[in-house]
Amino acid sequence: MVRTGQRLLHSLLLLAGVSLFSFALLSVAPGNFFDELRLNPQISPKTVASLEQQYGVNRSLPVRYAHWLGSIANGSLGYSLLYRCDVGSLVLPRARNTLLLTTVATLLAWAFALVWGILEALHRGKWLDRLGGVCTSLLLAIPDLLLGLMLLVLAVRAGSVFAFRAYLGSGGTAASEASAGLGSRLFLPVLALTLGILPVLVRHVRSAMIVALDAPFVDAARAHGISASRVICRHALPAALNSLLSLLGFSIGGLLSMSLITEVILGWPGLGPLVLEAMFARDTYVVMAAVMLSAAFLIAGNLLADILTYWNDPRIRVVSA
Amino acid sequence: MRTEQQTPSPPQGPLLSVRHLTLRYARQGWLRKKTAAVTAFQDISLGLFPGKVLALTGASGSGKSSLARCILCLEQPESGQILYRGQDLLALSRAARLPLLRDFAIVFQDSAAALNPAFSVEDILAEPFLIQQRGISAAERRRASCDALAQVDLSRQILSNSPFELSGGQRQRVAIARALLLHPKILILDEALSALDLSTQGQIANLLLDLKERNGLSYIYITHDLAMASALADDVIELSAGRVVRSGPAATFTANLQAGPQALLVRSAASDTVPDPETSWTSNRW
Repeated sequence: MVRTGQRLLHSLLLLAGVSLFSFALLSVAPGNFFDELRLNPQISPKTVASLEQQYGVNRSLPVRYAHWLGSIANGSLGYSLLYRCDVGSLVLPRARNTLLLTTVATLLAWAFALVWGILEALHRGKWLDRLGGVCTSLLLAIPDLLLGLMLLVLAVRAGSVFAFRAYLGSGGTAASEASAGLGSRLFLPVLALTLGILPVLVRHVRSAMIVALDAPFVDAARAHGISASRVICRHALPAALNSLLSLLGFSIGGLLSMSLITEVILGWPGLGPLVLEAMFARDTYVVMAAVMLSAAFLIAGNLLADILTYWNDPRIRVVSA
Repeated sequence: MRTEQQTPSPPQGPLLSVRHLTLRYARQGWLRKKTAAVTAFQDISLGLFPGKVLALTGASGSGKSSLARCILCLEQPESGQILYRGQDLLALSRAARLPLLRDFAIVFQDSAAALNPAFSVEDILAEPFLIQQRGISAAERRRASCDALAQVDLSRQILSNSPFELSGGQRQRVAIARALLLHPKILILDEALSALDLSTQGQIANLLLDLKERNGLSYIYITHDLAMASALADDVIELSAGRVVRSGPAATFTANLQAGPQALLVRSAASDTVPDPETSWTSNRW
């Protein structure tokens, strides 16, 4: 219990550190949201100065940081100069979309990776393992950006019903049409994200399972006539899980950052396009909200991995007692 | 050079016969065919008689453990036969082999690695029951587990412990208890005493002899300790570089130990070549 409390406190401190560092970096970068207005001859420098004064962009870093912390406390997360609304009401629906996308992609990627990696480990050195190795190498070699574009081109060429009817708007209003629309809109971004992270997961699952299958207690289980499926599910897989659970935390954080690119390319209404626009416009509070959400996802992913490892491995429970 | 032929004939035939068994580990490149890379052992024949202890000795890498894994069908040999109850285990399907393999059990050297760290002692002992005797109740399983622990002088208090919470000697006893649970006919002890201190070695050796008398077990005792092999075993086979170099009753091995040092073992560990049977200091005995 004490350890859990310490871990949570550590996570909060880490979030505070990330916020301070990110805020400082954004402030150090030259220029602000109103710089573009200065280029407009119809707007006088005095007007721009008064706008800067009104929105507090030229105040000192500690004052702006304190103001931002206050806005977190009241839930508004600051004010977006670009969208002219509270950042909270702008970012949270987008974050829900991103979370939906990454959750579906994470579950799919892990489900495929576990089956694929275990099959490769069981057929080590045989044609199935080699074919899997070739496929994962190919997927690893393709950058996420290119993968998204390739899928987009393939979908257009194939006249896919999955993506474009929904992208262009089918005009339907019924609930069934809405859920079908969500499924078809999710298809390409989920596929891109899943294919992006799949090869890394497959390789880790394969190597962890090979180590586990070579463990003497697995040999002992086999020698006692325990069935192959039970040897895999009850002995080898739990033993392999320790290293895989650590990877789960990183994969959650990694998928989130990868999803930003995918969302922009494939037009998913998540955090990605919003953050991109906010960065170009120097809309500081929107960028800060996105950075903090990314950091929170990464920390939550690692916390989840720690909790699952604690649950999976009794040796850790004894050490921490 | 065949124990089966050369050991003085007991009243009944061998319980287990291994005939001309050869195991080679293959290496396979990306685009190449499989090629034999390492010969684990070659043309091994032996016989294990009911209620007897057969020791397999030899330096590290001589093929003892690989032979044990082959007998348990954990490895697929290149050629040869493993006859148990008149049936060749290697010629049977996995399903047909499984009931016969239930008469075999193995205890490994490293008990810390051989017991699943995620399981409690109770889970470890219950698992063979769960798999092989479906329909047995939880209470019966627990009683059988307690009986098995009592057989190896362990208290039922440790049932809830994990293997890493036990001492090395306790773990090895748990491993033996698990092996004995399903009343095997043949127990393979793969360096089962080597990692223990002398006092625990003595205790477990006595326990094994006791269990042999009580349950009529046959052991294949794998060790590189010739003295221990001579003390425990009825017959001894010595392997070097994957071949049988000596075999015979344990008493003759004790005599040889007194007559000469274990130079052959040392030489065979340092060299990949098979000792010449004509020039070896003991070869003419068999």
